[in-house]
Amino acid sequence: MEETIVKEIQRLKKEMYKRKEEISDIKKLVNKEIDQEFYSNLSELSEKELETYIEECLSSINRNIDPKPEKKSITSHRKILGTPIVLIKRVLLKIIGFYIDLILDKQTQFNQQSVALYQALLLRLRQNKERIKQIEEKVSDCEENLDIIMDKLKDLHLSLEQLKNKIANHNPTVED
Amino acid sequence: MSIQDNERFLNIIKNLKLSPRNTISEFSEEINNISLEHGIQAAYNYLLRAEVILNIRKPLLAIYDHAFQFIGGAQKYGLTLTSVLQNQFDITIISNKEVSHRDFFSWYNLDLSKCKIKVIKLPYFEERNTPHLDPAFISKEVENPFHLISKESGNYDIFVNNSMNEMVYPLSNISILVCHFPERRPKSYFYADQYTYVVYNSRYTAEWIKKKWKLSPHQHIYPPVDMETDNSKFLKKKNILSVARFEVEGTKRQQEMIEAFLNLNQKYPEIAKGWKFILVGGSNQKNPYLSKLKDTINKNPNKNIELKINIPNKELKSLYQESTLFWHLCGLTHDDPAEIEHFGMTIVEAMQNKMVPIVYDGGGPREIVDNGVNGFRVQSKAELIKCSIRLIRDQKLIQKLSEDAQKKAQTFSRIKFEERVNSFFNKLLKTYNPL
Repeated sequence: MEETIVKEIQRLKKEMYKRKEEISDIKKLVNKEIDQEFYSNLSELSEKELETYIEECLSSINRNIDPKPEKKSITSHRKILGTPIVLIKRVLLKIIGFYIDLILDKQTQFNQQSVALYQALLLRLRQNKERIKQIEEKVSDCEENLDIIMDKLKDLHLSLEQLKNKIANHNPTVED
Repeated sequence: MSIQDNERFLNIIKNLKLSPRNTISEFSEEINNISLEHGIQAAYNYLLRAEVILNIRKPLLAIYDHAFQFIGGAQKYGLTLTSVLQNQFDITIISNKEVSHRDFFSWYNLDLSKCKIKVIKLPYFEERNTPHLDPAFISKEVENPFHLISKESGNYDIFVNNSMNEMVYPLSNISILVCHFPERRPKSYFYADQYTYVVYNSRYTAEWIKKKWKLSPHQHIYPPVDMETDNSKFLKKKNILSVARFEVEGTKRQQEMIEAFLNLNQKYPEIAKGWKFILVGGSNQKNPYLSKLKDTINKNPNKNIELKINIPNKELKSLYQESTLFWHLCGLTHDDPAEIEHFGMTIVEAMQNKMVPIVYDGGGPREIVDNGVNGFRVQSKAELIKCSIRLIRDQKLIQKLSEDAQKKAQTFSRIKFEERVNSFFNKLLKTYNPL
């Protein structure tokens, strides 16, 4: 391959590599969005995946149990009017805040009771699951034992038939 | 690249070969246009491909696995693939933790000295001092730590992601995701659909790739299994063998198999007389499941059950040579498809050594064992006991099934794996370099 081509490719590669290394964001490297939203179809989830999904939802609900916003400091960028503005803002917020808190406190109570209910229902569900699992194991053991008994019965039946035939061969005049 | 872009690119390369002096400026201009329209990475990929088509160098291939520092079936798969290709490609093995050629040779008997090893540590996991790099801990709230590997992938012609990790965005011209099983559903940082090819290890895995990821995978390559030994010198003993990791969650169902063997002894003492059950597997030191198994065995000391943990390969080979029946119940009573055996390499290892397999009827083992032809597939402990009794009572049946098992095991040999890998990569190279 001609040396000029090789040299030109090497030069371009070096230049592109240097530019590539300066970019850490993958999106900028490929000039497009690379992430997308995915939504789970709950009916497709296995038991284990559902359990994980329930845990994640409960954690998320727990984190957002209190709807009250975080308190922010009240400021004003104005030099002269700033102080009276801040004072008025504080008084207004105190008055309005009192009524909003009344509503939000009730909401927080409702949220806490709802979460407690979800957790109780989940606990009951898990206990029932455990009971069903124990019953299934007992049924499986019974089926196993039944299989073994049937097998032994078959063996016994076979032995009996063999014995009958033996007797019949020795004493052909003996009736069954 | 679109079909039109691909044709235009190939025409420029053809002209570059024929009259380089006249086309070189057109080539440079094309590179700059590509970088403006499709980004720097696209332009760089263009240059990489040009080098291969113009025979300036061998194609560069990188293979990545976030668990290369551990011994595992998936890692053996990826590294065996690497050893098959190391003459054709200039290969770099990318790991997140320190690992060496000596490790690969001692664990898998693979000489990968022709390959480079590049260790790219991920600060997110290094700061947390975690030996296991688990993508399950990464959510949208955290910056994707695997993007360091995504960036590195853009330096090669072909990037092979051998990890169970869909969080690496492939930037290379050709990208291959080797899926051993789709464990996670598409969530944050899911890029499996961005790979050029998805390779799968079993039809069971392919079925779940379609269900969980809504993707149609492209290429089926069974894992390589090479546990063949010379069986002619060994007399088979009255051994039932199980080979599986002692997972903490008990997913390999060793407890159930021990219960089945105890039942066999209790209900059919005259048939079970002289038979031994040996359970072999790997385990960490503190393993509550393993302790539970030991307790069960200690409560029944005369029942001929033995545990062998973390034994060397030589000892394992001897056990395969001497044992007659192979039990494998992974998947029993599971409803999570990830906990059912995705393939079952140890089943094939047993069959290669003329053992008769009795396996759970689900997952990958369905593709290995044909019921009644080269083994049995069962759905309960009761069926496991029944099939074992049938075999123990009938030496001729054991003889016949074990011979057929050995024949079937050839489908999954190392030689067949090499054929399939070479065929796939040759086709791939032809599309990459059609001139």
